Amino acid sequence: MIDTFFGLGQLDSSKALFMSLVIGILFGMVLERAGFGSSRRLSGVFYFKDMAVIKVMFTAMITAIMGIALSLRFGLVAEQAIYLNPTLYKAQILGGLIFGIGFVIGGWCPGTAAVGAASGKWDAFIFLGGAVGGSFFFNETYTWVKELYEAGNQHTAFVYQSIGMSKDWFVLLFVLIGILVFWCMELIEKKITQKSDYLNTVFLKQFSFVLLISGFSVFMLLGDPSSAAKNNESPVQSQPVETSETALLNQIENALDHIEPEELARRVIKGQQGLVLVDVRSEPEFLKFHIKTARHIPLKDLVEQLEPYRNLGMIVLYSNGMTHPAQARDVLFRMGFSNAYLLTDGLDGFINQCLRPVSLRPEPVPESNAREINQWRQFFLVSDSATAAKTPMDGLPIKGLALPGIIDAQTLFAHMNDPGVRVIDLRSQPEYNTSHIPGSLSLNVESLRGNIKGVPSCLLPAHLLAGHLSLMGIQPKTLVVLVYGEKVQDVTLVGMALERLGHANYALLSGGYLQWKALGFATDAMLPEISFSTYPDTDKDQFTIDYKAVFSHVQNKTALILDVRPQAYYTGEKSDEARAGHIPGAVNRPFDLDTVKTAETIAFKPISELAVAYETIIPSKESLVIVHCRTGHQASQTFFVLKHLLGYSRILWYDAGWTEWAARKELPVKTGTTP
Amino acid sequence: MNSSAKPYMNPYLAGVCLGLVLTGSFLILGTGLGASSGIARIAAAIEGWMLPDHTAKTTYFGAWGKSPLDYYLVYMFIGTMIGGLISAVKENRLSFQLEKGCQCSSWKRITLALTGGLLVGYASRLAQGCTSGQALTGGAVLLTGSFVFLICLFASGYAAAYFVRRQWND
Repeated sequence: MIDTFFGLGQLDSSKALFMSLVIGILFGMVLERAGFGSSRRLSGVFYFKDMAVIKVMFTAMITAIMGIALSLRFGLVAEQAIYLNPTLYKAQILGGLIFGIGFVIGGWCPGTAAVGAASGKWDAFIFLGGAVGGSFFFNETYTWVKELYEAGNQHTAFVYQSIGMSKDWFVLLFVLIGILVFWCMELIEKKITQKSDYLNTVFLKQFSFVLLISGFSVFMLLGDPSSAAKNNESPVQSQPVETSETALLNQIENALDHIEPEELARRVIKGQQGLVLVDVRSEPEFLKFHIKTARHIPLKDLVEQLEPYRNLGMIVLYSNGMTHPAQARDVLFRMGFSNAYLLTDGLDGFINQCLRPVSLRPEPVPESNAREINQWRQFFLVSDSATAAKTPMDGLPIKGLALPGIIDAQTLFAHMNDPGVRVIDLRSQPEYNTSHIPGSLSLNVESLRGNIKGVPSCLLPAHLLAGHLSLMGIQPKTLVVLVYGEKVQDVTLVGMALERLGHANYALLSGGYLQWKALGFATDAMLPEISFSTYPDTDKDQFTIDYKAVFSHVQNKTALILDVRPQAYYTGEKSDEARAGHIPGAVNRPFDLDTVKTAETIAFKPISELAVAYETIIPSKESLVIVHCRTGHQASQTFFVLKHLLGYSRILWYDAGWTEWAARKELPVKTGTTP
Repeated sequence: MNSSAKPYMNPYLAGVCLGLVLTGSFLILGTGLGASSGIARIAAAIEGWMLPDHTAKTTYFGAWGKSPLDYYLVYMFIGTMIGGLISAVKENRLSFQLEKGCQCSSWKRITLALTGGLLVGYASRLAQGCTSGQALTGGAVLLTGSFVFLICLFASGYAAAYFVRRQWND
């Protein structure tokens, strides 16, 4: 088994750099000998005059495909020791289209231009200069194209799987197509230039024959399914640990894998882009305290959640001490992340170095350092109300659970049979009927809404909501756990109903029903035994406002209006209502930006990420904010995020929303992207 | 010098050689060949040298740190040029010239080469590789994205070829 430099994580070692140089020299020599140091010859392929580009590329691909497939098949090299580019359809389709145009206009591609320049072609130098410029331009426009660049990441996708073939058949097919293509290329050259060097020659016949034999041999060798599968799917864990340990030790020796606490503090305060700070401690520890801007990722989810940042920006891992994140970094390292760092001495070190007050330090601190320390203390210790707001209160059914809030599946599983806990499932009925969390009640969120004074889809008044809760046997002390299927806004809208009655004892099940199911917790299909209760019908709603109040805030500019509808509705390109557009002055932040779809379910993004996103929109935690959408449904989700996850204290909900605003002709409307 | 230039190598044998170099690269380095990354790293170094603070703040180049040139593909790019030079000298093909059709003005060819370079430089970053690093390398390990890239590349190349055909008219 060959340990590649990539597999060892040593691509930046001097040995690897030297080998890269050597391989580069061979690459350059082959390209030049093939005649690719000439733009005229390269462009010939696009005018059917000289098909060498296709002949060389196709042959090279066939050779390498067979060579690598056999190397993998016979265990010469392991798949995880080979770097596999991710497949991203949008970026690669658009990139390919632009690249093709650039190729035919310029007459070069990057590798051939290097060879062209080396053989004295001025146009190759100019082309390379252009390519440098194109790279600058990409860097400068990166923030705009980032979404496209990362869109639809398929991670490692194999073409034979994508078209539903087995690997052996695909390789054989590719070789056969190759032979066909070669003969076609010769025919084309013959037709266009009246001259073909290889058509009907003994060489081409022999070459085709050799390819045919090789193709079939490889097909037979790959076809043995038992051993092939073993080789292709050997799990990461099977890789010898010493391998990565060696690499890790090597990096530690060169101190390439650490970041000092002070350095981290400076970078965080500066707001360095691309810095991803990851807390790998347990969730309770994270909720109690974490370094501001950090996100919590459990070790098992690390690779998946950090995938978008693989070798992009800087990933800093921390725990209390050093062991825990070192393991985490080891894992990332083996998965090909070269941009993961450890925080020296972990959180303990950070607190000690950056956050300990100057007065409590054993050694005297110079004044400039003292200023910096105070700045850090100011930044990292003050105003992180997302966590401060979540300090648990007494008298709640589950210790340590802040309400309203989020409950994880494990905690719910431990308490689902407690008498004070009621689980409400908001999925539609057929889904509930087939399988649900044992003891949970089905509720259609629409039954809590109705027409109020002509405005459709408004949350029912308190006394009607109280009636609903009574029918479900809920009492003011009951902990209501709300379960969503794929629409988080369903549970947050029920949350609004509960809050209208002053019922703060509710929590959303983290990840919803799909997460529960994915984690393998019990489900059944029985209806629960429920007896009626009498829920008091006092209206404690202080957060719903009507259009008159909204209009007054618009006129006096006394509140920030957050329109959470999709952008096309905000701008007015799309409309299902009396008028298109948005409330003048309203800022658009689509509600679905707060959630993330994972393989298993849909869930809120990490709190740290949400906090950063809203910090740029809302001036302070005490700012008055009005959230609205079309009917109040989606806005309930943003309400929950702002008020209960991020600790914004003054959030109002314009329930009637755009449906009403658009229909009242006396109210002003604005279209376009600006507030 | 051109008159004594040796003929190009048989493209099929050149292809086999290229495939072997590529396979070797995978077995030794664990990665394939690449060219555009080297160019982008050089771009990052230039930008970092001219505007250090700005470059460090940018997300894309900034992520490459203070010395973007310490990267294996930069060495491979330099190697490619050295290899090209060795071969060109040996085969008597080293000649300083602006390659174009006789009927095409130098300025037109220069403009087209520059424009093509800009597009290719940008597209290579977007698609995470060029003909070498994406199409050939990813194709060798049968990656879907690389095949998609390759197909799109030739499709748009053939579609655009007509409009710039005159640069090669003699």
